[in-house]
Amino acid sequence: MTVTTAAGLPATRERAFSARRLIAPLWVGGLLILLTFLVLYPLLMLVFGALSDSNPVIDGFGKFRPALTHFSQVLANENVRLAFFNALVACGGGTALAVFIGLFFSWIVVRTNTPFRGFIAGASMIPLFVPPLVAGVAWSILGSPKTGLLNIVLKWMGIDFRFDFYSMTGLILVFGFYYAPYVYMFTASALRNMDPSLEEAAEVSGASAFTTLFTVTFPLIAPAILAGTLLSFVVMLGIYGVPAALGAPANISVLTTYIFKLTAWSPPLYNTAAAVAILLMFVTAILVWAQQRILSGKSFATVAGKAFRPRSLNLGPWRWFTFGLALVYLFIVVILPTIALTIAAFRRFLFFKDFDAVFDSKAYGLMHFNAVFDNPLTMLSIWNTLKVGAITAVLGGILAFAIGYTVTRTNVKGRRAIDLVSTIPIAIPGLVIGVAYLWAWIGLPGGLYGTIWILALAFVARFIPDTVKALSTSFMQIHKELEEAAWISGRGMLSTIATIVLPLARPGVVASMTLLFVLAVRELGSSLFLYTSDSTVMAVLLLDYYEGGNTGKTAAFSLVQTVILGVLLGITNWLSRGSAQGAARSG
Amino acid sequence: MKRRTMMTGIAGAAASWALPAAAQSEFGPKDLVDAAEKEGALTYYTANFAETEQEVIKAFNKRFPKIKVSMVRAPGGQLITRIKTEAAAGKLAADVVNHSDRGLMLELQDMFADYTPPNAADYRPDALVHPKFWPGVTLGWCIAYNTQLVKNAPKTWMDLTKDEYKNKQIGQVVGPSGGTTWTRIMFERQVLGEDYWKKQAALGITLYPSGAPTSDSLVRGEVSIAPLLYNIIYTKIVEGAPAEAIFAPEGVPIVPYADGIPKTSKSPNAAKLFMNWRLSKEGQSFQIEKLGNITSMKEPPMLPKGWDPKVIKVWVPEFKQFESLRDKWMDDWNKTYGYRQ
Repeated sequence: MTVTTAAGLPATRERAFSARRLIAPLWVGGLLILLTFLVLYPLLMLVFGALSDSNPVIDGFGKFRPALTHFSQVLANENVRLAFFNALVACGGGTALAVFIGLFFSWIVVRTNTPFRGFIAGASMIPLFVPPLVAGVAWSILGSPKTGLLNIVLKWMGIDFRFDFYSMTGLILVFGFYYAPYVYMFTASALRNMDPSLEEAAEVSGASAFTTLFTVTFPLIAPAILAGTLLSFVVMLGIYGVPAALGAPANISVLTTYIFKLTAWSPPLYNTAAAVAILLMFVTAILVWAQQRILSGKSFATVAGKAFRPRSLNLGPWRWFTFGLALVYLFIVVILPTIALTIAAFRRFLFFKDFDAVFDSKAYGLMHFNAVFDNPLTMLSIWNTLKVGAITAVLGGILAFAIGYTVTRTNVKGRRAIDLVSTIPIAIPGLVIGVAYLWAWIGLPGGLYGTIWILALAFVARFIPDTVKALSTSFMQIHKELEEAAWISGRGMLSTIATIVLPLARPGVVASMTLLFVLAVRELGSSLFLYTSDSTVMAVLLLDYYEGGNTGKTAAFSLVQTVILGVLLGITNWLSRGSAQGAARSG
Repeated sequence: MKRRTMMTGIAGAAASWALPAAAQSEFGPKDLVDAAEKEGALTYYTANFAETEQEVIKAFNKRFPKIKVSMVRAPGGQLITRIKTEAAAGKLAADVVNHSDRGLMLELQDMFADYTPPNAADYRPDALVHPKFWPGVTLGWCIAYNTQLVKNAPKTWMDLTKDEYKNKQIGQVVGPSGGTTWTRIMFERQVLGEDYWKKQAALGITLYPSGAPTSDSLVRGEVSIAPLLYNIIYTKIVEGAPAEAIFAPEGVPIVPYADGIPKTSKSPNAAKLFMNWRLSKEGQSFQIEKLGNITSMKEPPMLPKGWDPKVIKVWVPEFKQFESLRDKWMDDWNKTYGYRQ
């Protein structure tokens, strides 16, 4: 091996070398400036709001009157403490269930010979595309103690037992059901990219399939499990729709419903809401720190320079058992709520005198769909949403790739700062960050305010952590030796990224961009403050229908939204599968 | 059948609604109409339900098809924040603002232009908080019930304290949900008695964060009876929902909105015409007949079904008390109903 020193380089190469040395700090600086604009500046507005009584745009920074009253009020309020406790119980329980379900499903789909895995994989992602509000409404239709469809069926069957989803158990179950796909996405992608030789070694050494699963497989994909756990927990903490629909009737308040109250009341108490949000950020920061501490210093690289295919465990006749379990899960999570939503979308009113009334064909029709499509805002909102979703997915995907690569694949100075700043938005509830974006960006020159671009910008900023975390797990699994091989062969950094990293990380990149698209389509909190009459989006219209007490139209519009997302998911899944196969071939 | 009874019950079906364009003087001079049509568009900020206001826009466009109305809708508090922030940044897009909280709008009075509708004298003085703001929308509280579940329907507000409606049969919107609910609970304490809340709370009440989920729950049968803003349940009744609504003889608390035209309006003539039309007999009749609104006009151009003007009186909160009593009474209400704020 020849050692080349700078002194030995000709003058032009020396210049190139010193220019290259400048690239790293410039790159890091550029990313930090971008993140400052997208994250720190709105955050500053939020802190400003929490620590004063003023609105930074109206009163200006000059009139900043620092006051800790909001914090002291919030901390002294026993109802906030109760809401905080409820949130921790509901989200903690929900996360435990989501991890169990998500992990189980990814294992079934990726690593076993359970029949119809492709179908199970696709169907199990459906809950992800259902807006939380709609999920809450669907389960209130099913599980209300008085009028729930499940209870009407039980009554008809002469069974005394009654479901009650207006309870903490109901919240935990629905959270667990609906946020399992977050865990699934992370763990399935990690399992798919995992070299099976370690598992084979375990089995050769006499370990049973289940021992291997718990001592080799799951520990190896620990970053993905932890990332999925953390993300689903934090996302649950920020969800409003489910606790609003299921918790409110039982007087169970959580932090988001409390924050919503603060922002929706007259007069709105944004400064107090900002104080609650900062407390929430504090909790999340501790969790992120804990995750990094657990993962630091450990290598999880399992994708090396060796060709492999994910190993499939032959379950024998038990494969029908796992298939049956998958069907039961799909029935609970997909079929039942879909039936409830379909009934609500096609039925004039949701009053059922008895079980037979469910089948009264005269009560059904297209009235809610007609009303929805009669509204001129419907098509406008669909078109705007698709545009915003696509812009967000592309811009956010590129930014997340840049951040993820810099943080996980390089040793440049400042990468920890990038990691930290890009993680912050995960902790801020949408309703509060929405007003922070408005405060921060309304004064931007160039007429950005009032266009769909400002919405896309807000979504990119808001979902950086989700996207980066989804991508980072893919990066962490690509062994450094592959890039080093490319460098030794004379490839530059960009060329290595384009020919080695990007193709190998493509399933992760496509998954992250899909996630970003879905999150953008569903996002309500930041949309509510930044949309205008020309840039209205589906989430805003859906809230209008819900707030108008139109369960039928809410259900009809959410079915439309689900179909649109389902079609797009099908396309990306197909693309992802193609690229996964491509990656396996090139690996 | 119910639908027919309701429709026949509506008195004097919008006579002016069928009038030809010659009646346009009701909405302002011809110059105003010409100038408004030349502007051709306006942006309408509203805290009312989007669907309801879409219908208002459609009806306005039947009369003035050359003026395109774009709508921005957000819940009350959020809309105010947005208006304040946009205005401070010099980017307020609204030409007309429609808001239910008169107190909050009053704080923004400097932001609004002087405006008086042609029929200003027709409006009740107690429904006005400032000469710049006018009640384009007025909502009123009724008692709604599920006809499939309630055998002996309540007829008065006091009936809602009776033992026969105990055990979560009654649903209520929580007091702190906004200005409309505050109007109702103020009425309950001032008109129905100091112990009204206590008696009712003792029955066991299901609490809801706002009117929409309450009306939805009533139709679904989650609760059997609920005080509701008439417009939330009216369209459902017309469509055939298993529900009915009555106006109680002790009084109908009404909520006049405060609507105005910002000084920064880019289409001030279109904005004026839109306000004029909404405040006109035609506009008010349309909202009463089609949307279940009430009106703040001294002589209502038409009456909702079951509204006997000899028996039923509207109740408007005294505005000073509306502001001054709020915090203390809200606190009392929360304690009485066990609502955790």
